[in-house]
Amino acid sequence: MDDQGCPRCKTTKYRNPSLKLMVNVCGHTLCESCVDMLFVRGSGNCVQCNTPLRKSNFRVQLFEDPAIDKEVEIRKKVLKIYNKREFDFSTLKEYNDYLEQVEDIVFNLTNNVDVERTKQIMEQYQRDNRDIIQKNKAKLTREQEELEELLLQEQQDSEQRRLETLQEEKRQLQAKRKNKQALLDKLESSKLPAAVLLAQHKDRAAQLETQIEKQKQNVKPTNIFSTGIMMGQTVSLASVSRVEEALYVYQPLYIDTYGPPVPELDQLGRQGYLNHVRTASPQDQAGGYSSGLACHRAIQDAFSGLFPL
Amino acid sequence: MKLNIDGLLVYFPYDYIYPEQYSYMLELKRTLDAKGHGVLEMPSGTGKTISLLSLIVAYQKAYPLEVTKLVYCSRTVPEIEKVVEELRKLMDYYTKQTGAKNDFLALALSSRKNLCIHPEVSSLRFGKEVDGKCHSLTASYIRAQHHSNPSQPVCQFYEEFDTVGRQVPIPPGIYNLDDLKDFGRRKGWCPYFLARYAILHANIVVYSYHYLLDPKIADLVSKELAKKSVVVFDEAHNIDNVCIDSMSVNITRRTLDRCQTNVETLQNTISRIKETDAAKLREEYRRLVEGLKEANVARETDIYLSNPVLPDEILQEAVPGSIRTAEHFVGFMKRFLEYLKARLRIHHVVQESAPQFLKDIFEKVCIDRKPLRFCAERLRSLLRTLEIADIADFSAITLISHFATLVSTYSKGFTIIIEPFEDKTPTIANPVLHFSCMDPSIAIKPVFGRFQSVIITSGTLSPLDIYPRILDFRPVTVASFTMTLARTCLCPLIVGRGNDQVAMTSKFETREDFAVIRNYGNLLLEMSAIVPDGIVAFFTSYMYMENIVASWYEQGILENIQRNKLIFIETQDAAETSMALEKYQEACENGRGAILLSVARGKVSEGIDFVHHFGRAVIMFGVPYVYTQSRILKARLEYLRDQFQIRENDFLTFDAMRHAAQCVGRAIRGKTDYGLMIFADKRYARADKRGKLPRWIQEHLTDGSLNLTIDETVQLSKHFLRQMAQPFRREDQLGLSLLTLEQLQSEDMLQKIAQIAHQA
Repeated sequence: MDDQGCPRCKTTKYRNPSLKLMVNVCGHTLCESCVDMLFVRGSGNCVQCNTPLRKSNFRVQLFEDPAIDKEVEIRKKVLKIYNKREFDFSTLKEYNDYLEQVEDIVFNLTNNVDVERTKQIMEQYQRDNRDIIQKNKAKLTREQEELEELLLQEQQDSEQRRLETLQEEKRQLQAKRKNKQALLDKLESSKLPAAVLLAQHKDRAAQLETQIEKQKQNVKPTNIFSTGIMMGQTVSLASVSRVEEALYVYQPLYIDTYGPPVPELDQLGRQGYLNHVRTASPQDQAGGYSSGLACHRAIQDAFSGLFPL
Repeated sequence: MKLNIDGLLVYFPYDYIYPEQYSYMLELKRTLDAKGHGVLEMPSGTGKTISLLSLIVAYQKAYPLEVTKLVYCSRTVPEIEKVVEELRKLMDYYTKQTGAKNDFLALALSSRKNLCIHPEVSSLRFGKEVDGKCHSLTASYIRAQHHSNPSQPVCQFYEEFDTVGRQVPIPPGIYNLDDLKDFGRRKGWCPYFLARYAILHANIVVYSYHYLLDPKIADLVSKELAKKSVVVFDEAHNIDNVCIDSMSVNITRRTLDRCQTNVETLQNTISRIKETDAAKLREEYRRLVEGLKEANVARETDIYLSNPVLPDEILQEAVPGSIRTAEHFVGFMKRFLEYLKARLRIHHVVQESAPQFLKDIFEKVCIDRKPLRFCAERLRSLLRTLEIADIADFSAITLISHFATLVSTYSKGFTIIIEPFEDKTPTIANPVLHFSCMDPSIAIKPVFGRFQSVIITSGTLSPLDIYPRILDFRPVTVASFTMTLARTCLCPLIVGRGNDQVAMTSKFETREDFAVIRNYGNLLLEMSAIVPDGIVAFFTSYMYMENIVASWYEQGILENIQRNKLIFIETQDAAETSMALEKYQEACENGRGAILLSVARGKVSEGIDFVHHFGRAVIMFGVPYVYTQSRILKARLEYLRDQFQIRENDFLTFDAMRHAAQCVGRAIRGKTDYGLMIFADKRYARADKRGKLPRWIQEHLTDGSLNLTIDETVQLSKHFLRQMAQPFRREDQLGLSLLTLEQLQSEDMLQKIAQIAHQA
């Protein structure tokens, strides 16, 4: 960068450290003052290649090689039109072919090969795919999404860490202060000799230290969400594929009792079975008991197994 | 000696055994039985290596289907050689005892620089040069060109190996690096490729950490190792730093400039190839459209060690369309490069996370995450297609592509720090982008996942529970072994005050304090008068050492010390340091006595042993904390706290204490050795520091040796040294710390041994 200079006025970075080089769409450099001078009227021709240029299109040269500046400029323009994403293609191979095609266009435009034809192809493509281009404008590629996610997570992590350490320090400070105050209070009020109290204090301080140590070691790694999903693992947002399975159908239980049919619970009273059973007291009924229950069970017992096999 | 370890017959090549070795083997056997990972700490100099080797070899022989291979990782080439020598001893013992011919194949592997026998290539000085030159002679297309055009030079050793070497297996035996070279010369085969090929069927492989942990190398060398291997990391106390370094990327302005020329070369080559051989590019394009399927198949069948730089998704997908053709990819790299350049042009420090970086790059230069992720793989494919010979030339762009892949793959565990200048020189602009890994478990995860048993062992691993936490694995055995001693031959002392009662500490506030510096000087002076032969003193940093030595010189302390002993100083220059070391040893050898001033975390503290009279006392001036103001460290501490619930202070203390222990441990290299360990800082006396020392040092640290003054230290040391200077024979040790087979089998000894292992 040090030996770079303006090709027109021959000023170099060494002689004028505040020299600002500018570059336009054709990829040729000029320094800022030359640009101001030559393009007073807002437009003119490039000194080196005679391309008609506008003053407003001059940019500060970012890279050492102005050709790269030019390429990036073109690339950004092309990518605005060719903005299909990977999931717009059915196979990876098609996507890769598409990428290569884009690369070819950029290459042709920067190296001035078949410029007219390439431009035609681009326009054709733009017309054909207008709605897809519109749709994809707002979308980021999947990789960029991932990156954004990572950055966000990084930020959150560092923030959380900062807060945690802050709190931890505060807590420790408080505990220590409390301990000190307790010692002073005791020295004031207790009847024990000061040496003993001091020794006690020392013990407590040591205990506090070890406690703090332990707490520090117990800090859990925070790399799992509360849902149990590992942080950093990308969750696919595609819907879960449906599993086709027969639903469960309830089949009432049938038990062969080898006996005469037992009357239903609500028929017991009508058929007079309950007349010979002790009626339930109000206390029993409070718990949900009815005399029918016991009777029904007794009859079931009695009837089962009466027939020979 | 033949041992019965829990029902396993183990051949042990010595007549005597230390009780802790027996206990170590028991623990190791349990780990292997459970097919799990283990963390084992045993003091240096008690024969860790031979215990490990003899047990695992015995296990391999007894259950050849359970454990097929032992991969022994060490740090340096000398250590690797030492391991191979021990192994050779063990195998000789096997042949002598059983009479059968050895059918084991064990070999060491190192870089091309250490193994090359090509006369031109091996004469190059730097490892990178050797690699590059070798590649330019052995790459597949170079050899193809050689077929049509015989004047194209190739490496005849590689050619020879390639035509016959793969069919004829290397005969069983023990090969260190020199043996491999000899064998290669005899046969005319390239030893490096021979070794790399042979590790696939070798029983024991000894090599450096990087062959397993560094993803770039591991992918080449170790990915086909069998799952049923046992992996041992020896001297593993620094393993987390190795892991982190292997995943971090630093990008400077110079890297980017070199990358720029790389991109230009690529562009030119592509346009040239397009004119001459367009079919080749089309072929590559077709392959990319189909996806990187080959690698995927291999991983599914579980042949390969997975590579953290090459995540699974990449293997399942095809390269995105936007970087499929070569020109588009070069354009893509250009944009990425310019973006990085723009980022490096800043005037203040920026720290951001990977998602923030990705968002910014999309807004600035429209680069999506997905093509970034494929960057490393795509570049490799392109380089292969373009047939570029000198890969070393392209290291810059390869580095950038690795960075691109890593930054888009991992959203957690990494941070990006861009610094416009170094902290020391705020006026000189030297922008650096640190892409720093904060989680050592990322690099080592494939190792733990793939191999059935991984053993992490060292002399200093305390506190033991922290390693499983920072490396994120679940060990089945965690144990620390102490040294059983016939006499207490180590004497740790904590000096807290000078004779004038001023506290001695390297705390930042009192660093410049003259009283502290003078007291440190007095301590060294007094010790130099009473300690025989060598003393090694460690400081916390080079800067601190320079300051202190300068003011000692002004106060005249240096002069007084030099009456007793010569002084040598370690510097940052490796050649100077090795010279100083040599002279230091000479001075110790001839009885003049010497002091070596060196730095914790330096070369001396990590790799050099001071046996016997080379180190009778080690003095550790201050607590060797790392430089806490570095942003990378701060980011790592924060990450440790959030992810692993390890507090900053805990980790810093742990790190400082493991280095302190490593330093003082240099002096005791065996049971007949003895030495003083002086910790000169009052902070060592605190429970939180003391508790983090290894158990074998802590055991000898009594209340009487805490917070001493210099005078008391001198008294205690004199007493200790006089005791130790008495003759000490093997018979004194026998039955206590050195056992024969009969003694080992006695009932009460077995009971004692059971207590040695301290389960953490």
